[in-house]
Amino acid sequence: MQRFTTASPAETEALGERLGRALRGGEVLAYRGGLGMGKTCFTRGLARGLGIDPAEVSSPTFALVNEYRGGRLPLFHFDMYRVESFDGLYSTGFFDYLDLGGVLAVEWSENIDGALPPEAICITFDRPDETHRSITIERGPAL
Amino acid sequence: MKLLILDTSSKAASAALWEDGVLRGEAYQNTGHTHSATSLPMAEQLLAGCGWSLSEVDGFAVTAGPGSFTGLRIGLASVKGMAFALDKPCVPLSTLEGLAYNLSGWPGLICPVMDARVGQVYTALFRWDGGAMHRLMEDAAIPAEELLTALAAYGEPVTLVGDGALLSAERFAGRLPGLAVAPEHLRNQRAGAMAPLAARLFAEGQTVPAGDLVPRYLRLPQAERELKLKQQKGE
Repeated sequence: MQRFTTASPAETEALGERLGRALRGGEVLAYRGGLGMGKTCFTRGLARGLGIDPAEVSSPTFALVNEYRGGRLPLFHFDMYRVESFDGLYSTGFFDYLDLGGVLAVEWSENIDGALPPEAICITFDRPDETHRSITIERGPAL
Repeated sequence: MKLLILDTSSKAASAALWEDGVLRGEAYQNTGHTHSATSLPMAEQLLAGCGWSLSEVDGFAVTAGPGSFTGLRIGLASVKGMAFALDKPCVPLSTLEGLAYNLSGWPGLICPVMDARVGQVYTALFRWDGGAMHRLMEDAAIPAEELLTALAAYGEPVTLVGDGALLSAERFAGRLPGLAVAPEHLRNQRAGAMAPLAARLFAEGQTVPAGDLVPRYLRLPQAERELKLKQQKGE
């Protein structure tokens, strides 16, 4: 388990970029933590680390999944907030995306915990105070 | 009667052309590429290679489920589009029954098994007897362990076929005597293998207009495993 503390959105983004550069494809990143914790910043950095323009990254809340291609690896950014059942999860195409060799970043992964692959990289976001973010990465590559 | 059969229900994609008991042509690809990018060019090249124009096709067959959510929709949408434009009848095929036809003539039990994830399999059971395929078990989504119990009750040699065959064989190893896995070239869905099934359904008049072609998803059992983290409950 690796624990990081960042002191600004730029630092959070830089951490995401470091992780993005270390990924090889096929990874599932299971995000945990509520709103305003820096998940979007982190994902922008992740995109940059995968060779994707971070300006393209937006919230997947309404689409359920946003696809970013054109980088070193495709990035599939899910929001599982509204997923209630295995059937609901099936109809997001989540299981199909697992086979595409890209990187899956999953917001609200708590909602699909029982369907996450055992090797999923768990990333927990916390906010010790207004400016700092604590980011814990389990099972990820060494950063 | 000329038939075009298309399958994009799982990891591999295939297309076949069938005419009055003869497999005229078949294309198969298992490259992990998106079916939306590969399946129609595959069918188009097959038609061109066989010298058929699309309008000569008398009917379309497509695997309607179970299978990959995205894959089923790609196959059904493609066939729907062609059949609707040409006003030709369609036949939806059970992906599992189609898989069983890979092992036509095979001795013992024929068990199609597809990985439905989260410890579940899409499965059914068949036996080839007297020159025909007989169904012993309806299409179902069940825990892999439940399938093992069902197969053990038959006490007969069984061959697994489908993208879940290897995984299930590994899981059942040492617990099911007479267990075998279909060889690689017969393991995934093959449009050519299921063509006789499609032809029979056409002959029996079990056709639908393009507009009535719908995916047959199998509901995943709900209990078995919690989807959400426990602490989420009641929030």
